[in-house]
Amino acid sequence: MTGSEVAAVGVVTGWGRSAVALPPDAVRAAAGRRVIAVEPPRAAGERFRRATRECQLGVAAVEALLREASLGPEAIRGDETALVYVTAAAYGSSNRAFIRAIASSTLHFPYTAPSAVPAEVAIEFGLTGPYVILIGGAAATIDGLWQATLLLRRGQCRRALVLAVETFAECEDLWARGRWLVRPPLVESAACALVVPGPWRATYAPAPAPSPLEALARARAGETLACAPLIALALARAAGDAGPVTLTGEWRGRRAGLAWEAH
Amino acid sequence: MVRLRTEPVAIVAAGVVTPLGDVDAFWSGLVTGTDAISRIERFPVDDLRVGLGGEIKKLKRERRGGCRASQLLFAAADDLLARAHLDAAPRRVGVVLGTALGGVEEGERALAGDPSARRTAAALYDGPAHALARRLGCRGPALTVSTACASGATSLGVAADLLRADAADLVVAGGYDILCRFVMRGFDALRSLTRDRVRPFDRRRSGLLLGEGAALVLMARDRDARRRIGRLLGHASAGDGTHVAAPDPEGRGLASAIRIALAEAEVGPEDVDFVSAHGTATPLNDRIETAVLKRVLGARAGLIPMNSIKGALGHTMGAAATLEAIMCLLASREGVVPHTAGLEERDPECDLDYVTTAPRAARPRVSLSTSLGFGGCNAALVLEGDAR
Repeated sequence: MTGSEVAAVGVVTGWGRSAVALPPDAVRAAAGRRVIAVEPPRAAGERFRRATRECQLGVAAVEALLREASLGPEAIRGDETALVYVTAAAYGSSNRAFIRAIASSTLHFPYTAPSAVPAEVAIEFGLTGPYVILIGGAAATIDGLWQATLLLRRGQCRRALVLAVETFAECEDLWARGRWLVRPPLVESAACALVVPGPWRATYAPAPAPSPLEALARARAGETLACAPLIALALARAAGDAGPVTLTGEWRGRRAGLAWEAH
Repeated sequence: MVRLRTEPVAIVAAGVVTPLGDVDAFWSGLVTGTDAISRIERFPVDDLRVGLGGEIKKLKRERRGGCRASQLLFAAADDLLARAHLDAAPRRVGVVLGTALGGVEEGERALAGDPSARRTAAALYDGPAHALARRLGCRGPALTVSTACASGATSLGVAADLLRADAADLVVAGGYDILCRFVMRGFDALRSLTRDRVRPFDRRRSGLLLGEGAALVLMARDRDARRRIGRLLGHASAGDGTHVAAPDPEGRGLASAIRIALAEAEVGPEDVDFVSAHGTATPLNDRIETAVLKRVLGARAGLIPMNSIKGALGHTMGAAATLEAIMCLLASREGVVPHTAGLEERDPECDLDYVTTAPRAARPRVSLSTSLGFGGCNAALVLEGDAR
């Protein structure tokens, strides 16, 4: 089988811990707040004592996915699970902390790399399969979902996690300067999709216009950058639509699309 | 799992900017054993334990505007475009770049109080890739990969995927990173930098030195390429899942990446003629990498010439793997394998055929290039040279 499908999506946002928690209208719900922050549950254990909030969010999103799919962590452990991680900016707060010497200790520097988030997720869940990290907003997540379908089609994995994390609070002043890139409210989020072999053929192409799901995710969640396509998937599934789906995502003037269709 | 063979992708041409210079100077510097490490001059380093690195002292042509990362990319693109043309519709030309640091120096400036909105946007790690796409007029997919110091390998793999999927007809792919206070301070704090010279696989090796550079290749579907300097036969990446900063002690992720890349390329250990190792000269990396190569390549490992070019250039982070891929293809073309600068006294635990002392006459057809990075990132490329 060379097709694929999305088996489950886990979502954690500043609005709550599932897609169901999203308000009907994010702008109205924000009531003028520029950033809707999220405090992830602290993962237990000594290993997490230095982990950043972004890392904790990544772990929380995978846990939400496993709950949604009614799976235990052993179901994804090992080298047959690929991890594709996407973020536009979830390294900003750790970079800022390092630059300002808030965290100038030897051990903080590795956490300034975008690869720290998937590293902590991979360690926590024992993921040792194919590993891709993309930087960008929603268009990059479409690229990441496409990468997941390729890895499945080539037989390099049996399942793929596509994880996105975005945080804004620590760099709110910088985001306020980049108004043409983002529209408030900026909603901190983490989301993870489980992509598995399935009946649908994935077609990857530039998209001329936003899909209805892109518009819905934007309206209900607000600005979530790389998390937006995964939130869109979660909303589709929450509405009972687990079949063919068309996703789009835009970033820096480029809109990418991925359509899961019948063969 | 049943694995599908993937179509090879042509590497049409290469362009670089390094502490040694453009592609021609890069190659001649490697084979003549030029040491590109010097005292860093572009920013203060007096407060750091180590102030040495592979710094590019002067660019041929500085453009107005654009951060240093973009400037390096523009310089590498000038070198590339002197050797090849982007003869495809702009919307069919993609850009895929790997980086460990993106525009972090712009972030430092923004946080230091520079209120420019442009500065803030450039601080995002995908800023330089979009700047290069704009400069070249490429309107196809523009992607940024950040698998730390393996980024310049992963980017070539993703670029090949875009071509195979017909999402682009040409892709400008590669990697870059700059030397800046941020990264020097970080590695200095980690005590990863050596006060000696960089000595990959040497018994006395005591750490790495950083370098800066940008390396680009123009890639096309093999059936569409009228000329090429080589082909990418296989690529794979795999995670360690063991540590945020250190490699897996058993090198399991690296072993997995090598095995999958060889399988994708449909070649076995007996077909590999040359290995470009990551070879950072840290005590851990070189020992683990040696053990993995012996495990995966078996008895053949000891018979294959191998090198690391980080002794000459320093570790150029996001640029490193692309530079090493280009070096593999140039070795095929020129019939010479550059030696491992800095390696003088062999470590008993690193007992493979690292080409030492002087370049060796050899014309590898199939090369394997390995890369590792923070976050448990591992990548492998299998390349085929186009011998003259």
